[in-house]
Amino acid sequence: MEHTHEHDHPITGPKTYMTILGALVVLTVITVWIAQFDFGAANTVVALLVASIKGALVALFFMHLRHDKFNAVIFVGGLFFLGVFLIFSLFDISTRQTVLPSNLKEPVQAFPGAPLGKPVQPGTGMPKGQAPVVPE
Amino acid sequence: MSQSTTVPSQDHHEHAHPPGLQHHFIDMRQQFEASKIGMWLFLVTEVLLFGGLFVGYGIMHSKHPEAFIAAHTHLDWRLGALNTIVLLVSSFTMVMGVWAAQTGQKKKLIGYLTTTFLLAGAFMVVKYIEYSHKFHEGLLPGKFYAHQGDTVPGQFMFFSFYFMMTGLHGIHVLLGMVAIAWLIWRAQKGHFSSQYYGPVDMVGLYWHLVDLIWIYLFPLMYLLT
Repeated sequence: MEHTHEHDHPITGPKTYMTILGALVVLTVITVWIAQFDFGAANTVVALLVASIKGALVALFFMHLRHDKFNAVIFVGGLFFLGVFLIFSLFDISTRQTVLPSNLKEPVQAFPGAPLGKPVQPGTGMPKGQAPVVPE
Repeated sequence: MSQSTTVPSQDHHEHAHPPGLQHHFIDMRQQFEASKIGMWLFLVTEVLLFGGLFVGYGIMHSKHPEAFIAAHTHLDWRLGALNTIVLLVSSFTMVMGVWAAQTGQKKKLIGYLTTTFLLAGAFMVVKYIEYSHKFHEGLLPGKFYAHQGDTVPGQFMFFSFYFMMTGLHGIHVLLGMVAIAWLIWRAQKGHFSSQYYGPVDMVGLYWHLVDLIWIYLFPLMYLLT
């Protein structure tokens, strides 16, 4: 057990904790301030990035993970699998749209949900002249 | 060898355990490290529990961005920011409590734990104000959504996630308050010392995780653009 000696690490004092609290409050102000800018699709990514910096400060200093490699591996392992869950779900969601009628390149005769016998137009997924269906 | 087997059991009854050491651990350090691993494994299950909701939120948000952006304007970001600061400060007072326990300062430990408890209570009061406002307006999850005069459809989806995620988080805050109250009670009885403060550390870890989850909830719920 490599980690057993870690109990002997010097105790982190109030000064460090005060500094971290100050940094967290400043980062909260940044979170609110940065939200008024439009980065387009990157909005959520920017918000999550700032949140992750805050989260890292909490985990490393308040939860003492910087002196606790063994438990850091456990925690990061959990986060890794959460990342797998999130990324593969988003792959599925973002690639599934290619089979929607609105994404067709050419008219097709048969498509699930399309009126029988009428060619489906690319772009709208509906026969000519009919209003497009908004895909759910 | 056969003679020496009786020695440990005899020795055991004469030997006085350090206060707080459970029967089945060799020493205080082993007990502390073992319970800490258990706590971190529990925290990972908590991350995955909330993770499912976060992934669901991410999927529905990416499929219905207009509904989510329209719905989030019903939230007051100032109350969310206030609660963020309250939780951050409570995390600070909690870790100061752990420090007070590590350095064997009983009065400071009780003081910091009590402050943490009160800040958690303040968080729940703000949450109550927010919830009662939404109940009043009919901003409710799923089929209970009854808000009048919407121009963007589908806003009930946002409130389904809002209530499930902040609600589950709120339950964690309440359970944290119970755990902190238990710590205050034990600290007053003089159970903790610089040699034995495991429970303070474990509840501290739990409390920081509750803070950590809110750090992600705040921008995702209150600050959509």
